Order: sequence, then structure tokens, then C-alpha cells
Amino acid sequence: MFSLYSYRELIKNLVLKDLRLKYRDSALGFLWSLANPLLLIVVYSFVFGHILRGGPPNFAYFLMVGILPWNFFAQSLMMSTGSILENGNLIRKVALPMEVFPVSTVLFNLAQYVLALVVFFPMALLFFGVAPARSWLVFLPLLVLQVLFTWGLCFMAAAATVFYRDARHFTEILLTLLFWLTPVVYDIRTVPASIADAISLNPFSYFVLAYQDALFYNVWPSVERLTVIVVLTFAIFGLGLALFEMLKMRFAEEV
Amino acid sequence: MAGAIRIEGLSKAFTIRHNRADSLKSKVIGLFHKRFREERETLWVLKDVNLLIAPGETLGLVGRNGSGKSTLLKIIAGIYPPTHGKVILPRNACIGAMIELGVGFHSELTGRENIYLGASFYGLTRREIGDIYHAVVEFSELEAFMDTPMKNYSSGMQARLGFGLAVNLNPDVLLVDEVLAVGDEAFQKKCIARMERLRSSGKTIVFVSHSAEDVRKICDRACVLDLGSVVFFGDRDEAIDRYHELLATAWSGPDIEQY
Repeated sequence: MFSLYSYRELIKNLVLKDLRLKYRDSALGFLWSLANPLLLIVVYSFVFGHILRGGPPNFAYFLMVGILPWNFFAQSLMMSTGSILENGNLIRKVALPMEVFPVSTVLFNLAQYVLALVVFFPMALLFFGVAPARSWLVFLPLLVLQVLFTWGLCFMAAAATVFYRDARHFTEILLTLLFWLTPVVYDIRTVPASIADAISLNPFSYFVLAYQDALFYNVWPSVERLTVIVVLTFAIFGLGLALFEMLKMRFAEEV
Repeated sequence: MAGAIRIEGLSKAFTIRHNRADSLKSKVIGLFHKRFREERETLWVLKDVNLLIAPGETLGLVGRNGSGKSTLLKIIAGIYPPTHGKVILPRNACIGAMIELGVGFHSELTGRENIYLGASFYGLTRREIGDIYHAVVEFSELEAFMDTPMKNYSSGMQARLGFGLAVNLNPDVLLVDEVLAVGDEAFQKKCIARMERLRSSGKTIVFVSHSAEDVRKICDRACVLDLGSVVFFGDRDEAIDRYHELLATAWSGPDIEQY
């Protein structure tokens, strides 16, 4: 893990390579990465806001606050299942710290997330009548925690897929389930207590609730919520990294 | 001896799986049907290898297919962990393994982008890559193609860029696995000349080859591996004779031990 710093150039190049390859020769370039969250926001606000007549006022902005961090999380995790496996040819030929692959997968998705934020937030200020508040400041520490949390899970997913190819399909199904167990398209305040309990079992829901507190309701997230997030983040990151370190010696023979 | 590479009691076993159960389904089915059950065999690719490679020496590693040469190289490089025994490397030595040329090159990227990407796989910083960039371009003679995507390169051109990069990484210990057979004859000569230069500059080189001629040209000593064991370690010419004797005998296949 400590040698990762000396491989910072590689991490940077891997992220840049993925970004370049994704958008090279396409006329609209990175605007494509905005199409998916934009479509989701439009569709969900139509279905849940207009057809089912639910959701809080300014529902499109509410959706945006949840969907963007969710997409960053879910896409990172999905991509990380292949991050060791798809680099098998490299891993068998060059001795390098294998952490670089899941680490750069998350950073690649982080770059896309930040680009989306840069476009969506000014739009929210202009069109949804949103005004920035002091509580927005908590976004940055939350983002740092979310990156660590995602790294932890991605270490697990990347290592697991090397030994069991099923892990990829399992992750896909799990993410679909988790999406509906995360209060992204509905307000936690409107769900029955029994369902709220199920949601509280989903670790990522705490992040989304904290983002909604800070960015949508313009209040500071409660100390309890922040404590849960910090504890979860360090537990998942520690566990994921420990698992990865334990198994990485065998990757070159298994991929 | 300071700066030497010591290989002590090194053995390496690979587990070969038949009906490889790397998905849960096959694992579950295997519980009920013997025919689908995963069977494991242990393949001893290296058996109690002991070598002392002197600093600044160029050691040739020869042997038939499947004798364990490449595996030995990969264990020295730190790609595979040894099953038994150990490899002791000189302290703070930078190990450069040329297991394959152009590792990590991407066909959609240009030659320049590939040099930067490829070199960073070996842990070089941006500045270090900048320092060797011109030497790589010059060696590969591909100045005019640096902004061309690699998919438009011929395989010879790709190999030139790969070799140009590999020889300019400047490691203290260079591990080379049969990568000299690239490009046309003129380029091959250039490669051999470059290897000789690296050798005379005092680098430790471990050189895997099937070509007795290349071993004779470059190496000081040589080691003959067969079925995972060292059958000869010492004088280069004697090693080549032993290697030729081995080639004349029938190959019995690798050792498999069932469990």
C-alpha cells in the first residue's frame, strides 16, 4: 500500500487512459457521461413526481442530490469487479502493486462524478431556485469518506471476482437491490418504519441521507449520522484492504 | 557477496484444476456429481533450485519447453510467490523484468502516450519518463510515428517500441525472457549490441533464451534447467553442450503429482 505513492504516475496514467479512450473520437465527448444521470432525473421526476404524485417539492433537485453520488458509487463498484481480472495479462508480466487497479477505477469514476457536479450544480442554482447554504461545506468531507468507503468495497469486489467469477453477477444484482434500498427516489420521511429499518441496513443509505441533509434540506447532518458514516467507512476500508493484501499474492496465478 | 542474487532452495508448485470450479454453480454441482467435481493436481515447476548470481554477471538460462525458465524469472521479478525457499535480491536494487515486450501498450493510444503509459507500469515518475523519452524514440527509430495510434503500427514497429522502452528503463538487474527475436535482422543485431552494452556497463542480467548463439554472444555463465531442476550451472559453452544433449532426448512432460 505504501508503495502506491511511488506509482502515482501509473495511477494518473491509468485514469487518463480510461478517460481518453472513453471519449476519444466521439463528437460530444464527456457530455455523454451526463446523459445517463440526466435521463434518470427526468424519468424519475416524471414517474414519481407527476404520475405517482409523490416526493418532496423541487423533486428534480432532490433526485439529483441522490442520483449523482449513487452513480459514482455503483459504477465504481461494478467496474472494480473486472479491475484485476481484465488486467490479468499485465499482472502476469510486470511486478507492480496491484492496488493501483481498483484505486484507479474509483478515481476514474470520481473524475466523471466531479465533471457531472460541475455541470449539474450551476444548473440547479439557475433553474431549480436552489441557493447555497453553509451546510454545503460538509459535502467535501463526505465525498472523501465516500471515496474511502468505495475503495474498501472495490478492493473486496476486485479480489473476490478473481476467485469466483460469480462475484460480478452478484454485485450487479446487489446494486439493483441496494438502489431501491437507498432513499434516492423517495424521501425517507415518507416510508413506513419497517421499511426504514431495512433501509438502515444498507450502509450507503447513510451517505445519501447526509447529502440530502446538507444539500437539499440545508441542515447539518446529525452527529449520530456522521459517526455512523465515519465508523462504517473505516471499517469497510480496513476490511477491504486487509482482504486484498491477504489475497493479492495469488492473483498472478489465478487470473 | 553484496549485490548478488541468491536463490535458496526454491520450489514452485502450480495447482492445475480440471473442471475448474471458479463459479459457485460448478462448485455446488460438484458436491453431487463426481464427474463435475474439481480435481486438483500439483505441478512442480521448479524443484529445489539453488543459484548464486554474481553482481554484474550475465547469466543465461536455457532449457527445453516447460523446464521452468520463465517461472524462475517471474519469481525473481516478484510476480509469483515461491512455494518453498526464497530469493534474496540486492538491497534497494531496481529489478527490470522484460517478460514480454510492450506490456500495457494500448492500440488506441499514440506512440508517445504508450511510452508514458508503458514506462509508468515500471514505477517511473513523469520526470524519469521524460528523461528517457528521447532515447526510447531514437532507439526504436519511430520518430515520425509518435503521434500515430499504435493500431496503425506493424507488429515489428510495436516490438521496436517495446524493446526501446525496455532497454531504457535502466534497472540494476535486468531479467530478459526471449524477447530478442523481434524485428528484422538489422534490428536484432542492434538489440544484441544493446544487450552487450548493458552487460559491459556492469548490470546483472538474467537472460532466458532458446538460442545457443545468443547465449554464447552475451552470457558469462549459463544454467541449464530441466523439468524444474538445475542440471548444470557454470561455464557457458559446457552449458550449451548439455542443453543440446537434452534436446536430443525425448521429452517426458512435466511432473504431475495427484492429490
